[in-house]
Amino acid sequence: MQLLNWFFHLDSSESVRSTAKDRMRKMLVYDRLELPAGRLEVLQEELLAVVSRYFELDAETTNFDLQQSERKAALIANFRLLRSKC
Amino acid sequence: MEGRVIVITSGKGGVGKTTASANIGVALANTGASVALIDMDIGLRNLDILMGLENRVVYNLVDVVEERCKLRQALVRDKRLPNLSLLPAAQTRDKTAVNAEQMKKLCIELKSSFEFVIVDSPAGIETGFQNAVAGAQEAIIITTPEMSAVRDADRIIGLLEAKKDEIEEYRLVINRIRPEMVRASDMMSVDDVLEILSVKLLGVVPEDEEIIISTNKGEPVAGTDNIRSGMAFRNIARRLRGEDVPLLDLDVPNGGWLNRLVSFFNPVRV
Repeated sequence: MQLLNWFFHLDSSESVRSTAKDRMRKMLVYDRLELPAGRLEVLQEELLAVVSRYFELDAETTNFDLQQSERKAALIANFRLLRSKC
Repeated sequence: MEGRVIVITSGKGGVGKTTASANIGVALANTGASVALIDMDIGLRNLDILMGLENRVVYNLVDVVEERCKLRQALVRDKRLPNLSLLPAAQTRDKTAVNAEQMKKLCIELKSSFEFVIVDSPAGIETGFQNAVAGAQEAIIITTPEMSAVRDADRIIGLLEAKKDEIEEYRLVINRIRPEMVRASDMMSVDDVLEILSVKLLGVVPEDEEIIISTNKGEPVAGTDNIRSGMAFRNIARRLRGEDVPLLDLDVPNGGWLNRLVSFFNPVRV
C-alpha cells in the first residue's frame, strides 16, 4: 500500500503543498489585519486575566484561533469554565 | 463607443504581467475586438519587445501626456493584427512622469475609440501602480502558485477592494502552473490559491517554454495555434468577452503510457 501511495502520490499529509498552504493562511491573517507578530499573544494573556477574575478555568483546554472567511478574520476564543469565582 | 479599461497588475515583479498583457491583447484582437495596449512601466519599457514592435516606436506615453504629439501618432499598430495598437512607455523617464489625472484623461480618450484598453502596470504598490489603476474599471491580478507571489497578490486585492468605487471587478489569473508538481504535492494547486485569496478566477496558464521562444521572436503565443499557454490566453480573452469557457485540461501528459496511467488514477484539476 505504501508503495502504491508513493507511486500515485496519494499521501499528502506532510506534503510541501500542504505546508505552503498552511504557512500562507497564517501569514495572510497577520498581513490583512496588519498585526505585528506577538500582539495576539499579548491579547491572549490579557483576555485570560480578565476571564480568570470571574471563573476558574481549565487552562489545558483553553485555546485561541484566528480564522478566515471570505477575506475577513475572526478571533475564536474558547474557555473551558470550571466554576464561578463570584 | 465606451470601451472597457482593464489594468493588469500583480504586486510582485517577474510573475508574467507583461507577457499576460501582450497575450490577452493579441487574443482579444483575434476575437475581432479593437484593442489598445498601454505600457505603464515607464523607465522599464518591455511590452514593445514582446509584441515585436520595438523598431517602430517613435513617440511614447509621456510624449502624448506632455503634448509633444497626438495620441494617434504615438499608437503603434500591430503588423499582423490591424485592430491592435500599442502605446509604448518612455524608456528615459520614471514613474512620476504621468500622474493619475493624466492617466484618467488618456483612458477616457482611448476607450472612445477602442473596445478594450489593456494597461500593463509596473510591479510594486506605490505611485506606478496607483497611476496605472487610475483610469481602469476592471483589474486582472496575475500570480504564480508561489508563496511570495500569492502574498503580494493578496496585498493588491486589498488595495483594489479599497477602490471599489472605481474598480468594479477584479479577477485572478494563475500563471506558470506546473501540473506535474501539483500532482506530486510539491506545489499549491489552483484550488489552494483560490481558497487562500478568496477571489474570482479568470484563467490558468501552464508553465511553457514556448513563452520564451515567442518572446525571442516577438510573436505572443496567443497568436499561434496548438500552444497550450496560447490556448489558455485565448480562453481568458473569451471569458473577458462574457463567454463561459471551461478550464483547460492541463493534465494531459506529454510522456508515455506510464505518465498517462498515473494521471488517470490521480487526476489534477488545475
